[in-house]
Amino acid sequence: MKRLTLVILAICALIMLAAAVDLPNWADPSSPASTHLSPDFLEQGYGETATPNIVTVVLADYRSYDTMFEAVVVFAAALIVLVVLRRTPRQRSKMVQHRPVREGRDTVLRGAAQLIIPVMQIFALYVVGHGHYSPGGGFQGGVIFGASFILLALCYNLQFTIDRFKEQAVLFCVAGGVLLYAGVGAICLAMGWNFLGYAGLAGILGVSEVMARSHGILLVEVGVGITVFSVMMSLYYDLASGGDLDEGL
Amino acid sequence: MMIDQAPALIIIVPLFVSLVLTLAGSLGPRVAYGLLLCGMAGSLLFSLLALGQVVTDNQAIHYRMGDWPPPMGIELVIDHLSGLVLVLVSACALLTAIYSLRTAAEDNPDRLNHYYALFALLVTGLLGMTASGDVFNLYVLLEISALSSYGLLARGRGPAYYATFKYLIVGTIGACFYLLGIGYLYIMTGSLNMLDLAEIISRPELQDSVSIKIGFSLMILGVWIKMALFPLHAWLPNAYSKAGITTACLIAPLMTKVSVYIMLRIMFTVFSVDYIFDSIAWSQVVIYLASAAAVIGMITALAQRDLRMMLTYIVVAEIGYMTGGAWVANAAGYTGAVYHILADGLMTLCLFMAVGAVIYRTGQTSLAAMQGIFKRMPITAVVLVIGAASIIGIPPTCGFFSKFYLIQGAAQAGAWVFVAALLIASLVAAVMFFKMLEIAFFGDLKALEQEPGGGHGHGSHDGHDGHGALPAVARQEAPLSMLIPMVITAASLIILGLYTKEVVNYFIGWSIPAGF
Repeated sequence: MKRLTLVILAICALIMLAAAVDLPNWADPSSPASTHLSPDFLEQGYGETATPNIVTVVLADYRSYDTMFEAVVVFAAALIVLVVLRRTPRQRSKMVQHRPVREGRDTVLRGAAQLIIPVMQIFALYVVGHGHYSPGGGFQGGVIFGASFILLALCYNLQFTIDRFKEQAVLFCVAGGVLLYAGVGAICLAMGWNFLGYAGLAGILGVSEVMARSHGILLVEVGVGITVFSVMMSLYYDLASGGDLDEGL
Repeated sequence: MMIDQAPALIIIVPLFVSLVLTLAGSLGPRVAYGLLLCGMAGSLLFSLLALGQVVTDNQAIHYRMGDWPPPMGIELVIDHLSGLVLVLVSACALLTAIYSLRTAAEDNPDRLNHYYALFALLVTGLLGMTASGDVFNLYVLLEISALSSYGLLARGRGPAYYATFKYLIVGTIGACFYLLGIGYLYIMTGSLNMLDLAEIISRPELQDSVSIKIGFSLMILGVWIKMALFPLHAWLPNAYSKAGITTACLIAPLMTKVSVYIMLRIMFTVFSVDYIFDSIAWSQVVIYLASAAAVIGMITALAQRDLRMMLTYIVVAEIGYMTGGAWVANAAGYTGAVYHILADGLMTLCLFMAVGAVIYRTGQTSLAAMQGIFKRMPITAVVLVIGAASIIGIPPTCGFFSKFYLIQGAAQAGAWVFVAALLIASLVAAVMFFKMLEIAFFGDLKALEQEPGGGHGHGSHDGHDGHGALPAVARQEAPLSMLIPMVITAASLIILGLYTKEVVNYFIGWSIPAGF
């Protein structure tokens, strides 16, 4: 069986090599990927959205519909882990789990956490907000923000974090972020534009259509950020406690 | 204005339902059920509106997401083919949603909201894939439908986790193949929009490109894994037969049919008839695979003792029918394949619903559960017979007409292997269902004694005392919430069969690709 796998893998590798024969060179400026649509994005992107970071423009405006469903994928992940793992109190204590018991106060650990966490969170907000100008955006910022809470849970304990950020609130954020994203799209639709046509926000925000697109991008990035950070927490809550939400690692 | 926005609303309505169901965690089960019904009904309504518009204007609707023109932005394309599949998916989802009142609540006493949220998300993914006019967007929605189906299937009983985990691995490999294929196409063309891709690929300088051929192969291979074509089908029977009753009714008819639709889209929209049947000369091999799928699937189904295992192997066999129809490369075969997407979606749904009702009432999943079914659950039994007749291909039902077109197409193409496979599969299906009905009518008494509790199980599952009613079996029809969608599905099998000519003339005839 193992040999068969190797043979199949070798054949696949040969096919891949064969396919590489007439691919354009790396970073070839005359390759189709660089000549077909990229010039349009680069030339018109800023003029149409007032956002200098073209990656963000493509991600959150031209292909915003894809990005919305990327956020939904993250949302679905949280939902599935919840459905599969989360146990109701009735079913508890069937499984014996070995979790390290931590006693005493870890002064150094907690002190360091107290120092780092606020900085992380502010940096995360910066990454979300600065996605218009530099690498960043909702996914990256959301991950950093979520990591700060996980750090809190690791340095103190799970219960400490759950007391401050209840499961219900986390779930509210999980769905709320995507709802913000899809809601922006629905508002545009209600204003007579197509779904996710941010120009429809111009009337509400009182700005030009180009600026409305810029603001629309920010709004959906915030939505993505909320979903990503809360999904990370939700996943951590369920995975660390085996679905019991009592005490974690 | 509503009509203009219908293509987006088809997909957005179930998405919002899913989000609201997650947000409002503490709603009662009735509210959750109502919300789900509203969402599915909304999708069906907008699908019908969009399809109506396509038929009146006789041209495809192109909906620009975010108002960006197509090669730069993403567009939804609803034409005769995708409109038809959208209506099928949303109608099946609505029927399953109605059906789920009792079963979903019993399978998920604690997490009904989240279960329904995943349900709505799966439907969002299926509808989004069908409506999409962009290959990458299709991948994203493929992931959504696949992910939510993993979640739903894992809620099943017993070894469902293990079966789902296998499905997860295989499904992810399939999705990776598809993504890799898109990668090759993008490197060679610089575009992701289906129509734009089709235009670029048809240029003479790309006709002989190895990369594009391998890109095509990878995409098709990925879709084949997703739709469980014969040698790649091993994940399907286990994953689907261990699922909860509602989950099986939702996933088994729809996931594989939408995958077949994607295969048709890639073959005939992104690539062209000339490219597939001249530049890539696979069709002989694929027809053999499809024939093998049909025959082996049906024979394996015949060998099963478990009702749902049997149905899942029928699904494997039906996939063979549709694949063969698409690859015989003529108009009749294509018509048969598309018509069979509709017919098979409905008849698989019909059978899974009827069998689900039997399992719900008797509590057992083996063939023995069928004993005395005509006395205990007469309506369910009639529904089952209609579904079985359609699978076998008995005239007034739609199963006959799809097979008629498929055989016609295969005969025109001279693919006699496929003709033989279709006929043999029908015969085997007939044997299988007559065996089932024999048990149902005459109730094999020996099996009754051997199965512990089999004879007592009729009523006792529901809390009644089965002992008193043992000799004259009590009538135990399925609840109304299950009967109504079942009867509608069974009726639609016959109605679709009676209106075959109209369906083919008004819808499928317009979607036949140029070159046939």
